Amino acid sequence: MWGLRLSGVLWLSLLAVVLLVLPLVVTSRFAIDIFIRILLFAFIGVAWNLMGGYAKQLSLGHAAYFGLGAYTSTILQIKFGISPWIGMIAGGVVAMLASLPIGALCFRLRGPYFAIATIATAQVLMLLFLKFRDFAWGAEGTTIPNLGSSPLMMQFEAKAPYYYIVLGMLVLGLAITYRIERSWMGFYLVAIGEDEDAAEAVGVNAPQVKRNIYMISAFLTALAGTFYVQYIYFIDPNTAFNFSISVEAALVSIVGGIGTLWGPVIGTVLLETTSALLQSWLGSGLGGVQLTVYSLILITVILWRPTGLLGVFTDAYNWIVRAPPAGKAALDG
Amino acid sequence: MAEALVVRNLSKRFGGLRAVQDLSFSVNENETVALIGPNGAGKTTSFHLITGFHRPDEGSVTAFGREIVGLRPHDICAYGLARTFQVARPFGGMTVLANVMTGAFLRDKKPEVARAKAHEAIEFVGLSAKEHSPARDLTTIDQRRLEMARALATEPRLLLLDEVMAGLNPAEIDQAIALVEKLSKRGLTIIIVEHVMRAIMAVARHIVVLDHGQKIAEGSPKEVVENQDVVRAYLGSGYVHVATPGEA
Repeated sequence: MWGLRLSGVLWLSLLAVVLLVLPLVVTSRFAIDIFIRILLFAFIGVAWNLMGGYAKQLSLGHAAYFGLGAYTSTILQIKFGISPWIGMIAGGVVAMLASLPIGALCFRLRGPYFAIATIATAQVLMLLFLKFRDFAWGAEGTTIPNLGSSPLMMQFEAKAPYYYIVLGMLVLGLAITYRIERSWMGFYLVAIGEDEDAAEAVGVNAPQVKRNIYMISAFLTALAGTFYVQYIYFIDPNTAFNFSISVEAALVSIVGGIGTLWGPVIGTVLLETTSALLQSWLGSGLGGVQLTVYSLILITVILWRPTGLLGVFTDAYNWIVRAPPAGKAALDG
Repeated sequence: MAEALVVRNLSKRFGGLRAVQDLSFSVNENETVALIGPNGAGKTTSFHLITGFHRPDEGSVTAFGREIVGLRPHDICAYGLARTFQVARPFGGMTVLANVMTGAFLRDKKPEVARAKAHEAIEFVGLSAKEHSPARDLTTIDQRRLEMARALATEPRLLLLDEVMAGLNPAEIDQAIALVEKLSKRGLTIIIVEHVMRAIMAVARHIVVLDHGQKIAEGSPKEVVENQDVVRAYLGSGYVHVATPGEA
């Protein structure tokens, strides 16, 4: 037991050192940009996974909270001169509040109907922001004024600070997940995901638990929204509420391992790296070839390991490092 | 003796089907009562009505002096009424221990307390050897044991067991009977829905017989077995006067 925990700490420290040193060693802006994207989507995946993974409430509308976070901080910054650091928290709170009525509506439905309803909520929000031009610049969107290097306004000339911010966000998301997973709430979430009626029968207040985890998940997703628009200096409804954000959030978790701490991270690293590499190898050739290859890889992975790739890694780790007798491996698996 | 549960004039329709009609019965504290009847008689529906999974159209359910109609299932569980399901519904992906801990968290949110309580409940039902197995790998009787342990971990005063013996072989039925008796000795009030007559005769002191949603008889096992209406409901009118139902 001790040995296992010790080696866990060791691996984690090693990973931390590598991640902290990475932007100092890698100078290519292109590479750092990819790292930032990976960390950002891993974070969104972690936020999604709390509700979609552990409680199996398959939301395909997390773009709603991403967008609300992005718009809240941008409006506060441009119209009121408030720092996006504060706007980020405000955006999280707005998303949390928005998750209450959205949840009240969507949680009446289960399974695929829930997923469809959540898609609709993100789309409705996008339409609202497209129409209300006085208040949020409508379809043209707006650029975020570039103040040069201004850490208090979350603006930096180098890419590295963005990298550290989003790395910090990911660590926060993972820490929250870790805490929840080990508490009563983690058990309740998994129980709801397995069988909501049976969970109710042993005293789980399923509607309340789902509402609470949805609020946490929405809050975290909104932080990512603020970060993203600060990073790209631009916002419009199509960027902020893009359906692909919702899909990506679910996809990285599903590919990596739904309802596991590291699943979304593993999933993002694999998907984003594959996508970036394919883009650079095949992107200049026939149009769209890289997307086809990407899709084929995705289909293969999901058919081969429907429970996520995390299992492959733990199996491989056990096989290489601890090499238990075959019988025991089967038991643990 | 104090009444643990009083059901009064309970009725539930599903469209044109009267699943439960004007059902009344009561259960004393620390008593084991069986609810029997042919398939479709309304036994499971009665359980759903009592535990809040369905809302009755009419009637009242009073548990330990308090009206519980209209409460949600988790509130009813928190109030001390725990149930199992006709088809066992374990949390398949969780281990046995995690399943039972989920029940134990109702009374105490601290993981170490919940774990200790879960150990105890698992030991009580005789499942300690499989504590770390995923619930979906359990055999039928072990799934039933798990459901009982999970319900027990919520510290109920009244336990509703829905056909815990269904699908078990004779040897397993004996084990299940012993377990129900052990639960009763622990001071629990038990309502059991069951088809296995041998089990009912062994555990229940009082039997309520349902047919087509209505109560047709009630009394001690001996009275019920000799009741003409009960014989007619189970075996048809041709058997009245001659039959002594054994295994149904």
